Amino acid sequence: MTVHITATAASPARTVPRGLVPASVVVGGTLISLIGLTWDIQWHSDVGPDTFFTLPHLFLYAGSAISGLASLAVVLLTTASSKRGRAVDPMIGGRAVGVFGRTFAAPVGYLISGIGAALFLVYGLWDQWWHGLYGFDAVIDSPPHIGLLLSISITMVGAVMIFAVARDQRWGTYGVAAAAGTLLAFSMVTVLGLRALPGGLVNTVNVGSAFFSVMILFMGAYVLSRRGGALAVGVVVAVLQAVFWWFSPWATEVYADATGLPLRDYADGIPGLPNMIPMSLILVAVAVELLRGLPAWIPGAVGGVIITACAPLQRMLVQGSNFPALERYVATVAAGAVLGALAGMLGRRFGLMLRHLAPAKEHSHA
Amino acid sequence: MRKTLLGLLGTAALLFGLTTPALAFEPVNVVHTEKVQAGPYDLTIGFSTWPVKAMQSLDFTFAPENGIDGKKGTLTLFRGSVESEDSPLARHPRKREVWGLDIFALPEPGTWTMRFDVDGPAGAGTGELKNLQVMEQPGPPMGLSWAISTIPLFGLIALIVVAWRRTRVTVH
Repeated sequence: MTVHITATAASPARTVPRGLVPASVVVGGTLISLIGLTWDIQWHSDVGPDTFFTLPHLFLYAGSAISGLASLAVVLLTTASSKRGRAVDPMIGGRAVGVFGRTFAAPVGYLISGIGAALFLVYGLWDQWWHGLYGFDAVIDSPPHIGLLLSISITMVGAVMIFAVARDQRWGTYGVAAAAGTLLAFSMVTVLGLRALPGGLVNTVNVGSAFFSVMILFMGAYVLSRRGGALAVGVVVAVLQAVFWWFSPWATEVYADATGLPLRDYADGIPGLPNMIPMSLILVAVAVELLRGLPAWIPGAVGGVIITACAPLQRMLVQGSNFPALERYVATVAAGAVLGALAGMLGRRFGLMLRHLAPAKEHSHA
Repeated sequence: MRKTLLGLLGTAALLFGLTTPALAFEPVNVVHTEKVQAGPYDLTIGFSTWPVKAMQSLDFTFAPENGIDGKKGTLTLFRGSVESEDSPLARHPRKREVWGLDIFALPEPGTWTMRFDVDGPAGAGTGELKNLQVMEQPGPPMGLSWAISTIPLFGLIALIVVAWRRTRVTVH
């Protein structure tokens, strides 16, 4: 185990690429968090009764704990290596930075994923206090819940950074697509916090979904910087959406049966989290691939328009909702175009920044 | 390897062992009731906390005098005179013999109205619980709560700004 995690210059023969094990544990933890979230949302809409220790909640806690402990292990092992004067391999989570002076040497990717997990604990206490004051509210977009979701998102950003370092290797490429796709799907819940903003005519949640999906899609595409990069992230999100579409209502019903609880009257069984993910994202990914040669703001704006224009159609298709008032629809699509353009530019820049994490031979792979 | 597997199994057993007894859900404790006459139906509205405060979640129960069998209906909420939402009257998940709303919060302070449209063997009837006073939310102002809760976002933005400045020359 130590051999794979620490970055010694002269490693013995190995069967698993160096760095793959801890990176997989971190991204695996984030996936467990995502599974817990989709299950928990479905539980509240279809069944209801809640305690601190429901299985979906345990998945949420376990996801951050797994990612956090793996990050901590890497930081401690890197620190130990560094103190013994051994060379630290920057391929494992990026260059090591000093924490608390030079007390710890932390690879930057693992530092970020670990900070996210530590924040999750702090916001767990904040959430506990909140529930004491406001009751056991099942409101996904309460301030402490958004704090918890943002903390998990930071761990997910750390996971993207860890894999971005190894992007020149096959496992790094797949890892970037998986970690970025997980972050994108998860962010579609975090944007519900935007309901707290006064949007006027604009549907702030739809525009927020468009902004974050375009930005993360571009980020993944520019980290990978190869044809099919955006499509890979889009496919990961589509697979997560399809699997959760089946899993969320199924797991909820199985867990309700196991605990002897009935489904709510009028429970519609519509998958909650998967339905927050824009089905049109795959179209955006295709558009980004086709418009590759153009400045990033153009495909970004196209992506923003596609997502905001299709969001009400998805709701009509899945929930049988009514089409929104025309002026609200037009204002939302216009805001989607502007913020999509910005997201395209930002996502491109973030992707290029992430490429800098690697001890890259830029001439060998562009 | 064997030790790791045993350790994992032990952890899983411990988690599930702890989870099962903890799944005893809180009963619905009605501490205050109001009466509403919806045509031929006497409804008793129960509240699990009283007085009601904005954003504070509680259990509401809606109990017709002779039970809910053979009856159905709709609950419509109004804040002042503005309709907030309507939904079919559904059984309370933790008190299945009556209708209700579980861990539900009214979002804003002010005067709320609950309108019940009930249909059953004795025909249809409508009744309202008027002047339900919802007090100010407890706890810190929402601005402060949001400021505390979005610290991770601003931390992430700060990280991005630092990374942006450090890579400015090389990216272009």
